[in-house]
Amino acid sequence: MVTSSAPPRPAPRVSRSVVIGLSIGAIAVLVFVLSPLLGSVSVPPRDVFQILLHQLSGGALFAQPCAGTPVSPRLCGAYEVIVWQLYLPEILLALIVGAALGISGGALQGVFRNPLADPFLLGISSGGTIGAAIIYVYQFEVARADLFLPLFAFLGSVTTGLVILGIARGRFSSVETLLLAGVALANLLSAILSLVLLYNPVGSEQVTFWLLGGLGLASWTIDGIAFGAIVVLATLLSLHGRELNLIQLGNDIAQSAGVDARRVRLRLILLASMATAIAVAFTGIIGFVGLVSPHIVRRLVGSDYRIVLPGAAVVGAIFLLGARDVSYLVFPGSLLPIGIFTAFAGVPFFLYLLYRQRQSSTMGLP
Amino acid sequence: MSLNDRDPPPAPARRTVSLAVFAVVVLVVAGAAIAATAGYYALRPTSTPGTLTVTDDLGRTVTVPYDPARVAVLSPSIMDVMFRLGLRSHVVGVDCYAAALGGLSDDYSPDQVALWNLSPSMCVQVGPTFAPETLVNLTPALVLASTIVSVAEVEEITNTLGIPVVMLQPPTLSGILVDVSLVGEIFGVGSKAETLNGQLSLELYNATEIDQSLPSFPTVLVTYSVDANGYWTFGPGTFGESLIEIAGGSSISANATTPYPELSPAQVLVSDPDWIVYGVGFGLNESTYAGGPLWSQFTAVKMGNLSGMDSNWLTEPDPTMVLEGIPALLAVLHPSAP
Repeated sequence: MVTSSAPPRPAPRVSRSVVIGLSIGAIAVLVFVLSPLLGSVSVPPRDVFQILLHQLSGGALFAQPCAGTPVSPRLCGAYEVIVWQLYLPEILLALIVGAALGISGGALQGVFRNPLADPFLLGISSGGTIGAAIIYVYQFEVARADLFLPLFAFLGSVTTGLVILGIARGRFSSVETLLLAGVALANLLSAILSLVLLYNPVGSEQVTFWLLGGLGLASWTIDGIAFGAIVVLATLLSLHGRELNLIQLGNDIAQSAGVDARRVRLRLILLASMATAIAVAFTGIIGFVGLVSPHIVRRLVGSDYRIVLPGAAVVGAIFLLGARDVSYLVFPGSLLPIGIFTAFAGVPFFLYLLYRQRQSSTMGLP
Repeated sequence: MSLNDRDPPPAPARRTVSLAVFAVVVLVVAGAAIAATAGYYALRPTSTPGTLTVTDDLGRTVTVPYDPARVAVLSPSIMDVMFRLGLRSHVVGVDCYAAALGGLSDDYSPDQVALWNLSPSMCVQVGPTFAPETLVNLTPALVLASTIVSVAEVEEITNTLGIPVVMLQPPTLSGILVDVSLVGEIFGVGSKAETLNGQLSLELYNATEIDQSLPSFPTVLVTYSVDANGYWTFGPGTFGESLIEIAGGSSISANATTPYPELSPAQVLVSDPDWIVYGVGFGLNESTYAGGPLWSQFTAVKMGNLSGMDSNWLTEPDPTMVLEGIPALLAVLHPSAP
C-alpha cells in the first residue's frame, strides 16, 4: 500500500502570524496611548486622559476635565482644544496616512516584483507637490488653504497616476519600461517644480517645508475624508492578495490560474496611486514608509500578499505615528517636518536592502 | 480664578532697568557716533586722495571712495537710509530676487518702489544665486550690502570685480544709528545723518520713557508669516523682539531656542497672548492669518485684540522701523499711552 506523506502543517505558520499580528497590534495600541502625551506643548498625562474620557463619553465622564489637577479652567480649556482638536486628529492622520503609504508600497512592490519600489517611485508625489506649490506660490485663496491645498495636491497626484496608467496601457507596457517611465516622469515634474519656484520665490519656503512632510493640516474633517477614502482603497487593494501571489510566479502561471496579470497590474497601480494621492494631499511628501513597511511584514510573516498588504498598512501606521512621537521626544517644542524622521529611519534600511540584494545576487558566483 | 481674571502682570523691574540702560546707551552711542565718528568706526582718511577706510558691521576693514556717485544698494533697509539722507540719486542698482524672475516685487513693496523711484533696470540679482554680471553692468564704485549677500559673494565682488563692499547689518536697534552715521560719513552728509539720528534717538528715548511709566506689559505674538503648522515669529536676539520690548510688549516667544521660530497653535494657545500683531504686505493679509491653524480659538482673536502692520516695519532694521514701527506697535499695545 502506498502511503503519501502528509502535507506540511500550516498551523504553526498561522499561529506565528497570529502572535506577530497581536504583537504588532499591542505595539500599535501602546504607541497610540502614549502619543497624546507628546506634542509641541506638554500636557500633564492625567489631564490628557481625563480630557479624552470627557470627550469620548460626550461629557458624561469628568464634566470638569481638569478637576483635581492644579490647572486653571482657562488653561484647561486650552488643553482641551490642544488634545482634542490638535493632537488626536494629528495622531489619527498619522495612522491613516501611514497605512495608506504602507499598503501602497506593498502593492507596488508586488506589481513590479521589485523590493525597491515605493509609492513615490512613479512620480505620483511629485505631481502632488506641483499641485501644492501652485497654492503656496500663487497665493491662490490661501485663506482656504485647508481646503484647496489637499485638493490641488490630490489632483496633481491623480493626474500623474493617470499619465502613468496611460503609459502602461500603451505600447511601452513592460514592467521595466513602466518603472523607468515613472522615474523619468518624477524627474520631469521635479524640474517643473524648480522652475515654478524660481519664477515665484514667494512661498518657496512653505513649499520646501511641505516637501518634507507634516501633519499640520490634521483636523477631524480632514481625518474623516482621509479615513473614508483609505478604508475603501485599502480594502480593494487587500482583496488582490491572491492575484499578486500568482503574479510573483510569472505571467504564464498567473494566466493559467485565470488571472489577467496586465489588467490586475493596471488596477493595482491605479488604486495605489489614489491611496498615495490621499496621503500626499494631506501631509506632503513622507518618504520611506511605503518602502520599509512591506519589507518588515515580509521579514516577519513571509511573502504571502494576502498578509503582506494589510500587514504593511498596520506597520506603516505604527511607523509614521512612531516617527511623529520620536520627533517630539527628540526636539520638544519644535515643529520639524516628520519626513525628516522617516528618512532617518528609512535610509539606513534602504541601504541595508541594497546590501542584502547585492549579497544575494553574488551568491553562487565563483 | 481663571486666567481671564488675572491681573495684568506688573512690568518687571529688571526690564525697566534694562530699558533705562538701553535708552542711555542709545543716546551715548548716537552722540558718540555723531560727534566722534572716526574714532567709533575706525573710519580714517587714507593715503589715497578721495578715499576712506571704514570698519563695517561684520568687522571688515574696507577702503571706499569718498562720496561715490554710483552705488549699488543690496538691501531695502540700506535703501531706506540712503533715501532719508537724500542720497537716492547716487543709487544705480538695488537687490532683486532676479530681474527676469521675481524682480523688484520680491524685495520691495509697491509703496517703496514708487517712493524710491526704483525700476527693473536697477536690478542686481541676488537670488536664486548671485549674478555678478548684473552688478558689473551698472558700474558702481561702491556696494552697500546686508547679509542678503553672502560673505563669499562679497569677497568675490571685492577681489574679482574690484568693487569695495561695505556690509551694513546692524545687530541692534542702536546699530541703526551707527550705520546712519557711517553712510553719512562716506557720502559727506554728516549733518543730515546727525539730524536723522537725532530723530531716531528721540523716538527711542520717548519709547523707553513711556515704557517706564507703563503699569504692565501685555503679552504679544508678533507674526510675519503663517502656514498649516503654525505662526512664524521672532525669537531672542532679533530686531522683532527688540521692537516688541521697546514698544512695551512681552513676546510670547522670548524663550524660543531659535531666532525665528515657528510656534505651533498649541504653543500659542497655552501662551495665550493678550495681543496678536501680524505683518501684512508681500501677499499676506488678515484673511491669510485667519486661515491659520486654530486662529479663531485664540483669546486675542476672540477679544478682537488684533492688528496688522506693514511687514517692513517688523522685519527691516532701518530708520523706518524706529520712526514708524515703534510708534505703531506702541499705539496698538498701549492706546492710552502719551
